[in-house]
Amino acid sequence: MEILRCEGVSKIYGNGENQVRALDEIDLSVEAGEFVSVVGASGSGKSTLLHILGSVDQPSQGKVLVEGIDIASLSQKQSAIFRRRKVGIIYQFYNLIPTLTVEKNILMPLLLDKKKVNEEYFTQIVNSLGIQEKIHALPNQLSGGQQQRVAIARALIYRPALLLADEPTGNLDQRNSKEIMDMLRLSNRNLKQTILLITHDEKAALMADRIVTIEDGRIVSDEKRG
Amino acid sequence: MWKTYSAGYLKHNRAICASVMAAAFIAALFLSFLCGLFYNFWQDDIAGVIEEEGAWHGRILGELDEEDISFISGLPHVEHVSVQEELSGEAGAVVEIIFNPVRAILTDMPFITESLGLEEEAVSYHYRLLALYFVRIPGDESPRLIMPFYLAIVAAVCISMILVIYNAFAFTMHSRVHQFGIFASVGATPLQIRICLLQEAFYMTMVPILSGIMAGAVLCWCVFEAIMRMAEQIVGGRRAQFLYPPGILAVTMLVSLLTVLAAVWRPARRMSRMTPLEAIRGSSEMQLVKRKHSPILCFLFGMEGELAGNARKAQKRAFRTSTISLTMSYIGFMLMQCFFTLSDISTEETYFARYQDAWDIMVTVPDTGIDKIAYNDMRELRKLSGVKDVTVYQKAEAACKMPEEWLSDELMSLGGLEALTEESITRTEGALMAEAPVLVLDDESFRQYYEQTAGEEETVYTGERDTVSSVQGTIVINRVWDSLHSNFRDRVYVPFVQENQDTLMLCAAGEDKETMAVSVLAYTAQTPLLREEYADFALVQIMPQSYWAQIKAQIGGVEQDTYIRLLTDENLSLEELTQLEQKAKQILSASYPVESENRLQERISNDQMIGGYKLVLGGFCVLLAIIGVANVFSNTLGFLRLRKREVARYLSVGLTPGGVAKVFALEALVTAGEPVLITLPLVTVLTWAMIKASFLEPMVFIKRAPFGQIMIFIMLIFGSVALAYYLGGRKVLRYHISEALRNDVV
Repeated sequence: MEILRCEGVSKIYGNGENQVRALDEIDLSVEAGEFVSVVGASGSGKSTLLHILGSVDQPSQGKVLVEGIDIASLSQKQSAIFRRRKVGIIYQFYNLIPTLTVEKNILMPLLLDKKKVNEEYFTQIVNSLGIQEKIHALPNQLSGGQQQRVAIARALIYRPALLLADEPTGNLDQRNSKEIMDMLRLSNRNLKQTILLITHDEKAALMADRIVTIEDGRIVSDEKRG
Repeated sequence: MWKTYSAGYLKHNRAICASVMAAAFIAALFLSFLCGLFYNFWQDDIAGVIEEEGAWHGRILGELDEEDISFISGLPHVEHVSVQEELSGEAGAVVEIIFNPVRAILTDMPFITESLGLEEEAVSYHYRLLALYFVRIPGDESPRLIMPFYLAIVAAVCISMILVIYNAFAFTMHSRVHQFGIFASVGATPLQIRICLLQEAFYMTMVPILSGIMAGAVLCWCVFEAIMRMAEQIVGGRRAQFLYPPGILAVTMLVSLLTVLAAVWRPARRMSRMTPLEAIRGSSEMQLVKRKHSPILCFLFGMEGELAGNARKAQKRAFRTSTISLTMSYIGFMLMQCFFTLSDISTEETYFARYQDAWDIMVTVPDTGIDKIAYNDMRELRKLSGVKDVTVYQKAEAACKMPEEWLSDELMSLGGLEALTEESITRTEGALMAEAPVLVLDDESFRQYYEQTAGEEETVYTGERDTVSSVQGTIVINRVWDSLHSNFRDRVYVPFVQENQDTLMLCAAGEDKETMAVSVLAYTAQTPLLREEYADFALVQIMPQSYWAQIKAQIGGVEQDTYIRLLTDENLSLEELTQLEQKAKQILSASYPVESENRLQERISNDQMIGGYKLVLGGFCVLLAIIGVANVFSNTLGFLRLRKREVARYLSVGLTPGGVAKVFALEALVTAGEPVLITLPLVTVLTWAMIKASFLEPMVFIKRAPFGQIMIFIMLIFGSVALAYYLGGRKVLRYHISEALRNDVV
């Protein structure tokens, strides 16, 4: 089942002589349960693509369909609700709310929807990410690796259709990087979570089922791995 | 470095400077306003003292000849020496000396005394005037607090302004931590960074300081003129000229610059001391040190409430100035309103209502006995159209010596005088000495009063009523306040003495040797209807003028002034009453020095005076409120810019823009509401205590409680804080989420 579809997505910044085409006619389709890596050099347009897929940014042209809904046509409020329910985004610099505890950070998408917390699922996530001891701590009391685990937990708590990860290991040491990638892989396998990973780390990219390469805002290759 | 980086940066980031510039403008405005106002008050105080008491600094009383005076004149710090002929007499000449500089009096006066061989007692100092010149003479024990008060307010404003600018500047620095980290990493020394930041501060604040000083001077002129006009209407007399000399301009500028310097010094030093790595990695975000929870906000407003509550807790330090100044302004304003409401009620009940029918025009004839007031003048006054009644009276202090058995049974059953009052009760040779103030009425008024009291059931006559015109004696106000069972607002009286004595033994107040018997015409609880507060624990005597003339030599204690009370027809307008007052003055001023007042004018003056107090006190409350709101503005305009990343995070996890607006609205609510929550219980308790202390029925106060004014004040502050958050929040929401989420940390 197709969960994500991009049709002719372009993103243009600036105008006139200063115009920069960050994405150029991107077509992409992702099936439910797939683990896709998007690789490319710095400035190739990977992060711009992720922001558009996560409804954090709007494309200049083209359509982005997530579970059949064109997210490019959503209002600001609808976009916010979409981000809350349909996608989980993991950033390189975690982007946790510094004034909330780990627990509240993880539960925030549910709390914004005034939804009842599934304690069993919450416990399962924090246990599997190894942060059960830290749920009452503040983000600034955690290491980088721990903060990224919290960000993953937050991204997974709503069981989103799509998990978007933007260089999730870019700010971590080797051991933490490996652990984070293992966790993503595990959630893909065990929870059938669809993941789109943006990275320039070849090792990380190789953990995916499919590798999409972007250069100068265009997809130059799309390989499925055995 | 300044020209290369800062000037260009500030030129292209004007918004960053806005909060610092606004804070500097407000600081300079207030300082200029207060320095100018207090300078003018100070000059006015000096002019007032000189007008009332003369310009002399020191006086010498003694046998001084020309040679002595020229010796004094020749001293280097003596500016002027003059002989005060009016005060000179048998004890010697009074020589007044003016020193320049004034402080020289401290050394020169003892030198003069010693050189001329005078006693220390021969020298006197003009303490009041010298204190205004900041010269305190040893031995001056009066608490001369006016100048320390002025200076304390200026200092308090300076400190508040330092905090406001400090916060504003700290925010702009936060936004530049990364940039200065890079400077440091390429070799800029801490001193270079600090100098650069200080230069930036001066560049940003110079224009606002100058314009603030000018605006403050204009505001000062307006307020000073308004105060002078009001004072002129109320008390009349001298009108001071507004002054804003270059000296005060220089002082204001210096104080403003020092305030800015003090405000920016710490953030600049802190930033210059950061290591390059700290600076480059440094996060400008607000952080919580300890885990916090906002249960009430969370319960009421959900996740947005939690976010708003925690964000406010994280910014607690930055908002300290605003919380303190807003709390102070709320407390000041609310207490002031409650106090004046209570005061209004009290004045109406105890003064205007009580004396409504007691007087319309009062004429005071200073230094003149009642016997000097000509009968013809009284007749002229009584003939004036619109005048219903004229009473002339004089007061005297006396005492009454009586055996304790004379005290009434009612008083004794209450435990005697000691049980009712803490005033010292004097006993001598087994007798009680009670205060017996005497009110001497002109014979005609006394006759009327006697006839009036005749209708009172409680009046007890000791003589034949119809012989009052020939019988001379006293009417005793036989009452004492039962302070055990009633309060001062609703006094209940019991008889002071038993009413079976034909005579009382009076003597001069404070003496008990020579007493004289005075005939008692009647005992009554009914006082003459005059604008007088009758003593609560004394045996007041009402006597006719002709009888007083016979006994005054033995009793003495007479006050110097005589009063003439005029009652007029009802419903006279202010204009009519004023005309009548002028006519009365005309009749009397031909023969005596007179001062007069009328009830309606006094009421207006009283209202104006209270209005003036409200203006001044309200002005200080508004000043505090502005400091608080200015801090909120500097925080929101500066800090909210730095919160773009935080807001982007909220948005990225699914908070809607409306939700972000709700978070900011709740933060504004907490910022403006927290001081109200602190204030309300405090003001309620204090107002309750004031109501209790003034023995007022709570409902009387509640019916007239200044809820409206307080609500308007609170709403104005809420509105200002909401505006600050609206402007800051709008800026933050304009940033694009994806831009804000990118991190430029290496």
